[in-house]
Amino acid sequence: MINNVFTIKNLNLFYGKYQALHSINLDIERNKVTALIGPSGCGKSTFLRCLNRMNDLIDSCQIDGEVLYHNDNVYNKNFDVISLRTKVGMVFQKPNPFPMAIYDNIAYGPRCQGVKDKTELNKIVEKSLKNAALWEEVKDRLKDSAMSLSGGQQQRLCIARAIAMEPEVILMDEPTSALDPIATMKIEELINDLKQNYAIVIVTHSMQQAARISDNTAFFHLGELVEYDKTDIIFTTPKKVKTEEYITGRFG
Amino acid sequence: MDFIKKQFKKIKDLFHFNSKKEVVDFIIKLFFLISTIVSASFIVIIIVFITREGIKPFVTDNGGIGSVNLVRFLTGTTWLEGTAFKSNLYSVGFIIINTLYISLLSLLIAMPIGVLTALFIAKIAPKRLSEILRTVIELLAAIPSIVYGLFGSGIILVFVYNLAKGFGVQSPGGNSVLATVLVLALMILPTITALSEVAIRSVEKDIEHGSLALGATKTQTNFKVVLTSAKSGIFSASILGIGRALGEATAVSLVAGNARSGPTLGFFQTTSTLTSTMLQGLKETIGIDYDIRFSVGIVLMVVILLTNASLNFVKRRIGNVHVK
Amino acid sequence: MSMSSKRKRIDNLLQIITYGAASVAVVILSLIVVFVFKNGSGLINLDLITNDYHAQYYNGGIENVTSFSNTPKPDDLSEDDYYSLKWGIALTDDIDREGKPIIIVSYIAEDSPLYQMYDKNNLDNDSFAIEVENIVQSIKFYEKDSTLSIYGAQHMINELDAESEFREMVFTSLGGGIRGSLITTLYTIGLTLLFALPVGIFTAIYLNEFAKKNRLTNIIRSMIEMLTGVPSIIFGLMGLAVFVPLTVRYTPADSANILSGSLTLAVILLPVIIRSTEESLKVVPDDFRFASLALGANSTQTTFKVVVPSALPGIMTATLLAIGRIIGESAALIFAIGTAIKDDISIFGKSTTLAVHIWSLLTDEPANIELASTISLIILMIVLILNISVKLLSRSYLKRV
Repeated sequence: MINNVFTIKNLNLFYGKYQALHSINLDIERNKVTALIGPSGCGKSTFLRCLNRMNDLIDSCQIDGEVLYHNDNVYNKNFDVISLRTKVGMVFQKPNPFPMAIYDNIAYGPRCQGVKDKTELNKIVEKSLKNAALWEEVKDRLKDSAMSLSGGQQQRLCIARAIAMEPEVILMDEPTSALDPIATMKIEELINDLKQNYAIVIVTHSMQQAARISDNTAFFHLGELVEYDKTDIIFTTPKKVKTEEYITGRFG
Repeated sequence: MDFIKKQFKKIKDLFHFNSKKEVVDFIIKLFFLISTIVSASFIVIIIVFITREGIKPFVTDNGGIGSVNLVRFLTGTTWLEGTAFKSNLYSVGFIIINTLYISLLSLLIAMPIGVLTALFIAKIAPKRLSEILRTVIELLAAIPSIVYGLFGSGIILVFVYNLAKGFGVQSPGGNSVLATVLVLALMILPTITALSEVAIRSVEKDIEHGSLALGATKTQTNFKVVLTSAKSGIFSASILGIGRALGEATAVSLVAGNARSGPTLGFFQTTSTLTSTMLQGLKETIGIDYDIRFSVGIVLMVVILLTNASLNFVKRRIGNVHVK
Repeated sequence: MSMSSKRKRIDNLLQIITYGAASVAVVILSLIVVFVFKNGSGLINLDLITNDYHAQYYNGGIENVTSFSNTPKPDDLSEDDYYSLKWGIALTDDIDREGKPIIIVSYIAEDSPLYQMYDKNNLDNDSFAIEVENIVQSIKFYEKDSTLSIYGAQHMINELDAESEFREMVFTSLGGGIRGSLITTLYTIGLTLLFALPVGIFTAIYLNEFAKKNRLTNIIRSMIEMLTGVPSIIFGLMGLAVFVPLTVRYTPADSANILSGSLTLAVILLPVIIRSTEESLKVVPDDFRFASLALGANSTQTTFKVVVPSALPGIMTATLLAIGRIIGESAALIFAIGTAIKDDISIFGKSTTLAVHIWSLLTDEPANIELASTISLIILMIVLILNISVKLLSRSYLKRV
């Protein structure tokens, strides 16, 4: 129990009348990479966005059940969603750097929290970029616009931006789907390094990717969590027929 | 009828058409082409004819008065020394400065209000309120400038007059730099708001979500990320706004006070713009006092072109660099 | 914790500033509407629209009155209508469109001896007669002091009733009306659309349907687009330099006139009409064109029978927008039509549209804010109606597609 950052109990989610998630129960472990797989529209991205309450931005979204972050239900009325998001970072499908300097992209989060001290910001920026394996490539042009970076670099910048907040968990929503194979490889290496310090939850379409980088894998289908186990078990001896059919490519 | 048939056949033979249909096609297309040429030619006509009239005071001796000195015209500080039709001592130097000064000030007022209103409509207000505000902006944009002029002379002049009195200044009926700036700010506000709103709305949701996911509040996201991302569009809106301010004529002429010399930079001093000067003394239709208005027109066009060009240059420069 | 409360404070402050900015627009619109309505609604009535602007002065004389009126005061007249039984005329106090007190004829009996008055300025004028709604300026008597409008209607009636003859009655038509400017505006709308719509629509069709996508087309497009950046006062100069001499040369006109003004406005409107039409032409799917061509129609038949009908809503929208612009335009027309308010309207003569009428009133000494507000109110209402129509039109069009 002590090793879980998130405990999800009986989570149901509705978009208006349509139910997108059906009683999900799941634990996210510290210092592990958890992969969420499943066919399109199975609810894995929706589930991911429950963890930092990004679903709040959709008006018709209704939630029932518990998402416990260190035993606090994040959907409690007086739960501070802003501080949740500082501790649960997120990386999006398409790289979405802000149209400002590389430096300011990384410093954005800390600044929003009120960090003004120059030397402290410099330290945060350098450390985050180093951890995201981007420092060597950009250290001489921190004042350049982030838009001048390549797609892969932009995505690592977004990871660095999330790291700058020193979160406990990083959520990744198909972070490599818009990237070429070499950039994808770099991101995967990065994820492997990052799990020393963070819990990572990653939504991916690629089963090879899930197999390569994750410790645990959850298989979603039609809004239900079909199976959740250690990755090597899921990919070698799945317990459910649906899971086996999916990982062997019979549907999806 | 026979004549038309004959012409038809002529065209048919001349261009080797196979049927009557093709001839009709050809003629109608020709008609369309002529319309297009006419439409496109007006910009040339405007430039040629205004230039032709406008250079007259500089290249002729204006019926014995003597030609106007171009350098003096562009740098002088009094509109006309001597009597109209008897003197060639015209100058618009101070009026150019007045015009730029007033337009810039009105932009300084209208831009922050317009951009924040646009932000409110696009990102903050509930849907119904947004719709209402958008309609309000559309209506403000649709109000003709003469009505703004009426509003200016009925309300703003009175307001400025009383304000000046509060400062111990006797303002001539409120006609002043301040009144002109306020009227222009009102007039360019809808332009800036509407265009900024489009720019803000077209900021990608991804970028906004990126900021929210980092623990920024909605307001922080709006001000730090959304406005930054829309800055190029907002800048374009401002360029259009200042263009409108520079060219606005009737409303300005009713509140400027038409100062004959300057430049006048004090808020309660009377002023004059290139456009208000052009609207002064329209009684004559020949002679130097008539022609000189076309010269002012040329100056106005050049001022607008140069302002646009330099602002676009600035826009390109800051477009790539980070702005905080 | 203090950090987050500080952040909250800054957030709230920014939020308040944003709300404040957004309310500015609403406040401005309300102020304009309230101002125009407050100053302008008092004068709005049918007479305003049907009356001449310039009052006509009449000097009526009368001699040898033998039979007087004996019509009693009609019941529908109020206490404020002062009646002279002998002369068969009722007068009432009123204020004119500049806010000055005047005396208005509110009733004349059929057997009133005043019908025997003759025009002292023009003895041959047989149609001369005082009418209801004329303004009585003064009545001059032989034996005693004249009675003037500043003394009020009651005084005037009493003085008149006491006499059986007078030397002269000075009266004027009401004046201050906008009939002339209204007619000019209508003429201008008609003529401008007559010039601008065909040229604009044909240009749009050519650019969208026939023109090759090459550099030349792009240049033509940007030349037309450049017109939108030209301030209207410059169009006014162009009208003065091009269309005024042109119309003076080839028509009976001898100065700026409605025709030259309409031609100038047509040029201003061309880019609006072209763009709006082109946008609606672009929406027409190419399948329609191919289907028509495949049936053996030639390209102009296709254009007129298939493409243009589909683009009609766009053309309608452009027309409504154009009408709004024509009604509101002032700067260009000050040069291209002139600023003289007229009652007899000819398309070859000077006159003012409603917007220029306002300008003339405001540049007068003293400025006539009331009448200017009334005309503004009319313009605002028309603009509002046009805007709503455009919205409804585009909404119903969107529904259909």
